[in-house]
Amino acid sequence: MKKLTSKFLLIYFTLICFSFLKFVFAINMESPLFKIQYGEIGIAGGNKSSTNYNLYDTIGQTAAGQFNSSGYVVKAGFQYLHSIIPFRFSISNSNINFGTLIPNSPQTATTTLTVSFGAAGQYQVTAIEEGRLRTLDNSSSIPDTECDGGSNTCNENFAQPWTSNNAYGFGYNLSGDDIPLDFINSNYFRPFPNIQENENPVVIMSSTNVGKNRQATVTLKVNISPIQPAGRYQTIINFVATPSF
Amino acid sequence: MKIKKLKSIKIKFLFFFIFLFILTLYILFFFPSTKKIMAQSISLSLSPPLVEVVIKPNKSILIAYTISNYGDPVILNSKVLPFEPKNNLGQIKIKENFEGPIRFSLDNSNLKLNQSFFLKTNESQQLLLRIRVPEGVKEGDYYYTFIVENQALTNQTDKSASFAKASIGANILITVTETGKIEIKPKVVFFEVLPRFHLSLFGKKINFFDSNDPIPIVLIIENQGKNLIKAEGEIILKGNFGEKAKFNLIPQNILSESQRLIKATPSAEINCNNFLNYKACKSPISLLISGFFLGFYQLSTTVFFGENSLQLSAKTSFFAFPIKILIVLILILIISIFIIKKLLNKD
Repeated sequence: MKKLTSKFLLIYFTLICFSFLKFVFAINMESPLFKIQYGEIGIAGGNKSSTNYNLYDTIGQTAAGQFNSSGYVVKAGFQYLHSIIPFRFSISNSNINFGTLIPNSPQTATTTLTVSFGAAGQYQVTAIEEGRLRTLDNSSSIPDTECDGGSNTCNENFAQPWTSNNAYGFGYNLSGDDIPLDFINSNYFRPFPNIQENENPVVIMSSTNVGKNRQATVTLKVNISPIQPAGRYQTIINFVATPSF
Repeated sequence: MKIKKLKSIKIKFLFFFIFLFILTLYILFFFPSTKKIMAQSISLSLSPPLVEVVIKPNKSILIAYTISNYGDPVILNSKVLPFEPKNNLGQIKIKENFEGPIRFSLDNSNLKLNQSFFLKTNESQQLLLRIRVPEGVKEGDYYYTFIVENQALTNQTDKSASFAKASIGANILITVTETGKIEIKPKVVFFEVLPRFHLSLFGKKINFFDSNDPIPIVLIIENQGKNLIKAEGEIILKGNFGEKAKFNLIPQNILSESQRLIKATPSAEINCNNFLNYKACKSPISLLISGFFLGFYQLSTTVFFGENSLQLSAKTSFFAFPIKILIVLILILIISIFIIKKLLNKD
């Protein structure tokens, strides 16, 4: 009887102990100033709360109750994606150096853009120049290319062949993943849209499919005329990578 | 005497060699006008990539973003700009200047929006974005992109050069509503196959494919309402022998008063380098179905927009015949008849 009672008590106390246990699955992000509990998409779904805020993840709860009590509902990430690969954008070389420019002798330089978008679904990369290639004292500039001209005149949205050494300007070619179809081969170029001329950025990489590590090589080309004043010509190209919605 | 002279020459030569070595080192590492030309790589990640908020006026929320630097050390700054949908493919157009009634600020004690901060290689910074909807803001949707960009270092070379500036963004979709009710007004504007051949008969379009052709399908939905909606559902293929295949729509947001091409899965893949003129390679599609098709097929789609919402449906159809095989067989038949006739004539 004593043995039975002790066994019963042991089971009873074990059950009591387990009923007090609380299972918490959360990922803490810390900095010296803040500590915020936050759920990574695909790892944890459900409510995250503190005294100041509540957060709903992308598991698909109905929002009505939450909205009425707190006045807001927040969802982070994509409901149909369960990836831990973050949205990442890389440029292999931010200083795209042309060296010394020689008239009628085109100079090229390249940089590689890489987009990892496991957790972003779809993405786009746009490009725009913050002005023409110009000297530091602003006294002279190199025009944007029109490619070979005539029937081979290119514009910001359409690439055309640029092979003539007598066609002057500044432009770019693209090769690799998710690039516009008009870049048929390495001879096809476009000028960058110019922010100073109120032009809109153009999409140079985009994908509507879920994927990762997409790479494109941007080849910049400059060809100057013999009457182009000597100097150091520079500009900034702004590449903006955004996921879809 | 000779040995002494030789020794002094050796010592002189040694001193000269040491001087030359030190001079080379000085020129290489310490000469003031020597400029390093650096190939700086930039690699940034921003998380979460998308935030959807349904919020009442006079409320504010805090979103914790993490920006990580996997490239060389960079100087960054953050900003928020509005965006609008660019086309039906989910691409966006970020506006140049801030507009709209929503207020954004950083809750970090040492950082503000548009203020520069430094990030070492493999270092991350949490950015606490406060989103505040002031009282009296009109009900509807407001779309923004939280952007973190590096500052291009333009003085790193004395040659002609272009400097790349990298910006990475994360979209914020805000629905402002007093009651929590969302306007759902969708419409299927296009549900069709992109046929290889088609025939118009009595005002009806009849689509034809070769039996081996993959079938490209396009589904475009328009959101005529004032709030974003998320399309869910399926595309069903039914054959004349009772065969059936189901493809799920990927739940994607359709922003207010815009259209979106909805993707379905599992979709076949095609190598467009070998099929440049194929329609599925020329324009975006929702779904590509591969297999061997024979006879009449019906395609239907059912789309819904959350629990207890209205349901939309649309239908299309196509015929598939082994056109290529038939052409080859007819050619073989014609050649055979020609050869037999010739042989008979000879006899």
